[in-house]
Amino acid sequence: MAALLTADTSDYSRAMATVSTDTQAEEAMLIEQAQRSSRRAFEALYRLHIDRVYGVCLRMTGNVSEAEDCAQDAFIQAWNKLKLFRGDSAFSTWLHRIAVNSVLGRMRKSKREQERIMAVSDDTPPRLETGDSGELRDLSDAVNQLPEGARNVFVLHAVYGYSHDETGEMLGIATGTSKAQLHRAKRLLAQQLKQEGFEA
Amino acid sequence: MNDEELMRAAARLAREIRPERDLWAGIEEAINEPVASRWRPMLAQAAAVLLLIGATSTITYMAVKDTSPRAVVTTPDMIFERASFGNRYTLGPGFQDARNGLVAELNIEFDRLSPEAEEDIRTNLTMIHTAINNMNDELEKDPGNTLLQEQLLRMYHEELALLRRVSGLSRNVMMRNDI
Repeated sequence: MAALLTADTSDYSRAMATVSTDTQAEEAMLIEQAQRSSRRAFEALYRLHIDRVYGVCLRMTGNVSEAEDCAQDAFIQAWNKLKLFRGDSAFSTWLHRIAVNSVLGRMRKSKREQERIMAVSDDTPPRLETGDSGELRDLSDAVNQLPEGARNVFVLHAVYGYSHDETGEMLGIATGTSKAQLHRAKRLLAQQLKQEGFEA
Repeated sequence: MNDEELMRAAARLAREIRPERDLWAGIEEAINEPVASRWRPMLAQAAAVLLLIGATSTITYMAVKDTSPRAVVTTPDMIFERASFGNRYTLGPGFQDARNGLVAELNIEFDRLSPEAEEDIRTNLTMIHTAINNMNDELEKDPGNTLLQEQLLRMYHEELALLRRVSGLSRNVMMRNDI
């Protein structure tokens, strides 16, 4: 890494590309081993991807313990389905989709319970430790206060960069609904941030 | 803040977030649990179905066996001696022997049966014999009628089966090559 710091931009890009290729090769090897039931290899895959999986779980649920459960559930499901992974998409994408499904499944299951909890809790959800700094913390908090449908679309489309088609497919909604929910999310966020004097 | 600024800010939000605790222990525990085979419950269900079929068949067999006298037999005065196919064929010695043996058992069996059962048996045998007589008469007119021959053979089979059920003997059922 020290060598990378002294390299010029093009050298840096080439070096990063090499690192990326090495990482992909290592990941492919780990996947192959894990598919042959190597728990050690699967743990290595967990270490590589947990931050991203937990990230989407936390952004979507807005709750630490729910996000932890979802992330664990996603990896357990991934282990059970690992032999079905054929590499048609990147492993991280495959895992991400499992995580999103896990979140949605838990949301559906615990909807009544969540409503009950929300009824007796404060209006403002607790601030999440997302690692965002400065003014982005306000945006993060505002996203966390969005209604579920708008929040899910905003997180997948605006934060994680999925297209509306992909977002709709992952959430089981129409592309048009995804666009409408994004519009709603942006309007609500703008109102919220304006009240708090947020400047991008 | 306009939409564009909002989307740019959203794209800068952290995508990777480190959980506050290591979640691997829970995952490891779950994946180390022995996986319950999907086949096990299916095999158990299949075994249960087979058991049910077996039990049902056994019960049905026992019930039919116990109540079989309903279709049962006759006294010697009802014994039907005609055993031929029209005027061209006669039944083989195997069939005659089997029938004679069964008839000999018949009186013994009647002693064990209720009058109602005996009456039923007599009625059944009379019906069979009447049918056999009629068919034989027809076969004398049309000896080459294979359909009639098959029906007549079936009636002899019925008669023998009825006698077997009543007498409780297990003899070979008449085959076409017994003729």
